[in-house]
Amino acid sequence: MSKQLRKQSYRPITDGLAVSDVSHGFDDSDVLEAVSLSVQQGETLAVIGPSGTGKTTLLRLLALFDRPDAGTVQLHDDDLWALSERERLDTRRQIGMVFQEANLFDTTVRQNVSYGLRVRRSWRDRFKGWLPGVGSEETNPAITDALAVVGLADAAEQQASSLSGGEAQRVALARTLAYEPDYLLLDEPTSDLDPRNTALIEEAVDTTRAQGRGVVIATHDMHQAERIADRVAVMLDGRIIELGPTERVFDHPDDPRARKFIDGELVY
Amino acid sequence: MAGTVLFPTVETASGLLITDTVSPLLVEFPFEREYVLDTLYVSLYVSLLAVCFSTLFSLPVAMAVGFSEFPGKQFLVAVINTGMGFPSVVVGLLVLFTVSNQGPLGALGLVFTKEAMIMSQFVLATPVITGVSIAAVTSVEDGVRDAAYAMGGTRLDVALATIKEARYGIVTGVLAGLGRAISEVGSVLIVGGNIEGSTRTLTTAIQLETRQGRFELALLLGAILVALVLLINGVVLRLGGGRI
Repeated sequence: MSKQLRKQSYRPITDGLAVSDVSHGFDDSDVLEAVSLSVQQGETLAVIGPSGTGKTTLLRLLALFDRPDAGTVQLHDDDLWALSERERLDTRRQIGMVFQEANLFDTTVRQNVSYGLRVRRSWRDRFKGWLPGVGSEETNPAITDALAVVGLADAAEQQASSLSGGEAQRVALARTLAYEPDYLLLDEPTSDLDPRNTALIEEAVDTTRAQGRGVVIATHDMHQAERIADRVAVMLDGRIIELGPTERVFDHPDDPRARKFIDGELVY
Repeated sequence: MAGTVLFPTVETASGLLITDTVSPLLVEFPFEREYVLDTLYVSLYVSLLAVCFSTLFSLPVAMAVGFSEFPGKQFLVAVINTGMGFPSVVVGLLVLFTVSNQGPLGALGLVFTKEAMIMSQFVLATPVITGVSIAAVTSVEDGVRDAAYAMGGTRLDVALATIKEARYGIVTGVLAGLGRAISEVGSVLIVGGNIEGSTRTLTTAIQLETRQGRFELALLLGAILVALVLLINGVVLRLGGGRI
């Protein structure tokens, strides 16, 4: 265990969205081992590492998809899995996640982007929204604003199935931004995109961070991490082997394996 | 058009005007009109209600089976798929035993009633609707469900989002179930008794009229049934192609 990891493991995490000493696995194989990190609002944390090293699993734990086998997931000091289901739902709704695939619903862009707003309404309000003359969530200006952030303000009435891969991914980001989560988790959001769409996503992420949201982005693109992250965590074999400000991690990593990975010498 | 009569009309006993050219085919129709409409009503009433109940039962089952992993799941799916081809006369026989005086539901007095026919059609339609719905639900990508969950959806929201994504397949299953129910003859004959004005459906009427040699009426009923099944299958085909 590296010096850096030991330091993190015993550091109490008191604010932001965090995992503390988290271990998790599937079918008797360990994917994460004693991982601790946190992200604050207004900062972007990049999690980099080779494929299959546990980045997606880490993000899914932060998004409360799964309960960790050991350790805690915390938001502002609260152990989220110790909360009631209702409280955990409220917390979950402060966190948004965008996946490697856009996973859009087979409907219009507007209905896709309004989904997060719709599920936050009471059932009574949802039924009322069907009545003529009563405003539904689809008229919420947050939808247009979110689409504008990703450069698709004119695409609201298009069918999601008619979008290109890059546009679909931008809609996936917009539908998360529409409900204004405090924390945004991005799992390899640009791995299948061309440079232009990648740049648009990165720009939107930067805008989001500037608006005070905490962003965690899992990527194997080190240049992307260097461009947009305030801090970088390097993961290897389910452990965080390096964590710190972007410049230091890239220029002077403590762990020799992190150095090798950054230099492209660590082949998996 | 004044002065030119291409198809001279004949007024029938019911006041219905039909053309001379087709009147030989429908010579009995004014008399049989009520009979045909009654039979059509019984068919639609029984089949639509059976399919409604079946859908209400099948959808939650399809969601539960499609969303979860449990021991024996594959066996259960195999049983449901086998049920799609279950012989209808056997279903009729089992339902008749169930509702007969000696059966568990004997006290309800359901023998030779529409309710018993609804039960038998429910049994026939349910495997079709459940099986197709399971296939539709499981074909929805995990990512869609993950997205609904990640955007703050509750379990119910995620289930509804999945149903919406699987809507073409589910409606196809419902219509296929309706097709099976409405064209069914064996079981409704056994449990309904083919009582005129009460439990006689299009299919059992066709069977009876054919045996009695009233082929014109049997053909008319057959044409109505075929038109209904064609309509249902047409909708299924269009939905299958996702064009609606």
